[in-house]
Amino acid sequence: MRRKRALWVGLAMALALAIAGSGFAATAKQQKKSVVVSISIGADPPSLDPGLATDTTSASVIANINDPIIRLSQNQALKPLHTGLAQNWKVHGTTVTLYLRHNDRWTNGKPVTAKDVVGSWLRTISPQLAADYAYQFYGIKGAQAYNSCKAANCNALKKKVGISAPNKWTVKIKLVSPQPWFIQQLSHTSFLPVYLPAVNKYKTAWTQPSHIVTDGPFILTSWKHNQSLTLVKNSKWRGAKSVKVDVLKLPIIVDAGTALNAYRAGTTQIDSTGFNPTDIPTLKKTKDWHLTPNLGTYYYGFNVKQIPDVNERKALAVAIDREAIVKHIGQLGQIPAKTFTPFGIANYKTISKGGWIPAYGDDTSRGLQLAKLYMSKAKNPNMNFNLYINNSAGHIQIAEQVQSNWAKLGVTATIKTLEWAQYLQFLGPPPNPAVGAYRLGWLADYPEDYNFLSLWTCNSGNNNTNWCNKKYDSIMNKAVHTPNTAKRVALYQKAEDILTGKGGAMPIAPIYYYVGAYLEKTNVTGYYANPLGTDFYDGISVR
Amino acid sequence: MAKFIVRRVFWTIPVLLLVILMTFGMMKAIKGNPFRHTEHNIPVAIQKNLDRQFRLDQPWYIQYAYYVKGVFTWNLGPSMLQRDRTVNEVVAQGFPISAEEGGLAMLFALIVGIPLGIISALRQNSIFDYTAMTFSNIGFAVPAFLTSTLFLYFFALKWGHFTGFPTFGWSGFHSKVLPAIALGLGPMTYFARLVRGSMLETLQQDYIRTAKAKGLRWRRVVGVHVLRNSLIPAVTAAGPLLGYLITGSFIIERIFAIPGIGQYYVTSVSSRDYTVTMGLTVLLSILIIAANLIVDILYGVLDPRTRDQRA
Repeated sequence: MRRKRALWVGLAMALALAIAGSGFAATAKQQKKSVVVSISIGADPPSLDPGLATDTTSASVIANINDPIIRLSQNQALKPLHTGLAQNWKVHGTTVTLYLRHNDRWTNGKPVTAKDVVGSWLRTISPQLAADYAYQFYGIKGAQAYNSCKAANCNALKKKVGISAPNKWTVKIKLVSPQPWFIQQLSHTSFLPVYLPAVNKYKTAWTQPSHIVTDGPFILTSWKHNQSLTLVKNSKWRGAKSVKVDVLKLPIIVDAGTALNAYRAGTTQIDSTGFNPTDIPTLKKTKDWHLTPNLGTYYYGFNVKQIPDVNERKALAVAIDREAIVKHIGQLGQIPAKTFTPFGIANYKTISKGGWIPAYGDDTSRGLQLAKLYMSKAKNPNMNFNLYINNSAGHIQIAEQVQSNWAKLGVTATIKTLEWAQYLQFLGPPPNPAVGAYRLGWLADYPEDYNFLSLWTCNSGNNNTNWCNKKYDSIMNKAVHTPNTAKRVALYQKAEDILTGKGGAMPIAPIYYYVGAYLEKTNVTGYYANPLGTDFYDGISVR
Repeated sequence: MAKFIVRRVFWTIPVLLLVILMTFGMMKAIKGNPFRHTEHNIPVAIQKNLDRQFRLDQPWYIQYAYYVKGVFTWNLGPSMLQRDRTVNEVVAQGFPISAEEGGLAMLFALIVGIPLGIISALRQNSIFDYTAMTFSNIGFAVPAFLTSTLFLYFFALKWGHFTGFPTFGWSGFHSKVLPAIALGLGPMTYFARLVRGSMLETLQQDYIRTAKAKGLRWRRVVGVHVLRNSLIPAVTAAGPLLGYLITGSFIIERIFAIPGIGQYYVTSVSSRDYTVTMGLTVLLSILIIAANLIVDILYGVLDPRTRDQRA
């Protein structure tokens, strides 16, 4: 009996070994072929639902597992390309028609159709989803009304939204005004279609790897919260031939030092977490260091009720030593700003030609002289006000630098710090009367200067300066109705001049244009971090 | 004893209600918008939709009632920041990891700390005693972020080829050694000092002299009479400490990139993710209450005199 049992055990063990062995051989074979790249990301994506995500970490994952309706060119122009889900489009005044490609498929094999797009957009606009980015759709007729509907009239308002699918592959959009940048705006992840049957079936759990249905170059196969995400190449994707990576591991490493350790140990090949200021000087000297322009401007705003004289605002703006700020505090390679329009925007050169603020501020006698000259022209300048910032190390350092710059004009700025969430609420709207000056930044939603300059219109919810100029507003309103690029750029140039030009009102002092940085091993190429903060992995290859 | 436990469990209900009320009140007192994380202002209509979705448009007592109901039915609601997840999911994913991390750290602290304290006390003023106590003082004074960073730099990055420790993460025993030691180092030195002090005090007691005088073997005197009586302070400290350790450490989890629950204590507050903050506070209070209860029961085991007083 006992011998018999021993025999069985022996057999079972042999079988198990054989299975394990063959399995091992198979994986070994696969591993030989498959290209695995590991990229550290700085946060757990808060949401992988294109309708709900609002941050760049989520957007980067979403943009790689889905197929953006519009893909943008990888140069400064960020032109809409015909390589996305929409292979063609027509713009006729306020009517936009998208022609979807016929060979785009969901991971379950079903085709991606115009119906999917229309349904997904209506979902994001619906008040029931309560999406932050529903406002991306406000340029579409009826979208704002539906988004703010009361229960009783919602269905009626939903039908009035200007989105329709005349046939399987065509999406028709009616805009409230001709927004010449609408096609580029469609590159935003909030416009991505979702597979509604999966969304309706699994509710908020639909983004889990076992439920999710997508249509992009990669498939989400694992999402361990706060630990890692794994994306695997979607071999059935229409462009799969050009995708050189088989497996993408995205370990989530919040701490910059830990991410750098992992990169140095070779566990990751790309470090996109961010860097400790003390490490930047050494890293900059390596071949692994890469800079990428970001569409964004770091600025100080003035409360024009507290600092009413334009000459004082000009003096304050000129006195700031931007060069010292980017060199010693920012360190990455940020660009000193002359205008609110950031360096990365198309036609920046034309729009910013009236920019005149020197980069050196009070560091050179000339800069200080100029600032003092403006100060002497100011009537009843406010020599004592509060400078509000949020309490993070870098912003405090910059504020201290600015404070000492302003002190040379005899101005006493008292630095007041608040924690980020409180700070945002404190600033407004409506603008807080306790504020003399404040720091903020603006990062683009879509690559068009309107997204920047419209901030300073009278009714903008982001204008905390109390500055309001009817002429400026009318120029911005005109831009919405000007499809011709050259003419529109001329309007932006005019607006920028009113804002920060030599004869401008200077309600803000632009400080620098943001840049992004990442580390990439020298045998890896093709990682693309676009200026809007979305990273694309489909071009990565390993030598 | 049973009566004592029932009464204690019953008392946790008002304590929990108070904890929820206080957390709720403090969260409402600090300003900030749970849905606004960037410079981009949220339009009024969208803010209204969000408030309605998460019941923030209701009066405070209704919101409080929903939280209380949620806690007692263990349905902690959806996260306001991570829109695809519920607080229950956040806890279910992160807590086991933090519990393991804290458990290992506690194990390290007890296994190393208590013997260190005992030997130091028995060999008072010896080289061993001085070395151990100097080491303990340093270990107690140096903050965890520094020890973690140093551990990672030397044992994982520089000597990683020999030690095999990864530079981050939480998978496999190897990855758990450094964080457990880094997290357990503080409590370890605390236990060592506590046990040493209490041992020295016990050794002076009359009953120890009596035990020695009646001819008991020294090993038995220490093993039964001294140890049993000197461990009471350590047990008292261990309960709440374990509660804190197993709910995770923000710093250790951040530096070692451990997907535990500790980091949510900080991030949920700074992002005003009210439901997560609430869920975690309740979790922590339940654990501390439970730990204290266990400590009280252990007192009885260690010191029979305390048993009758509480019945």
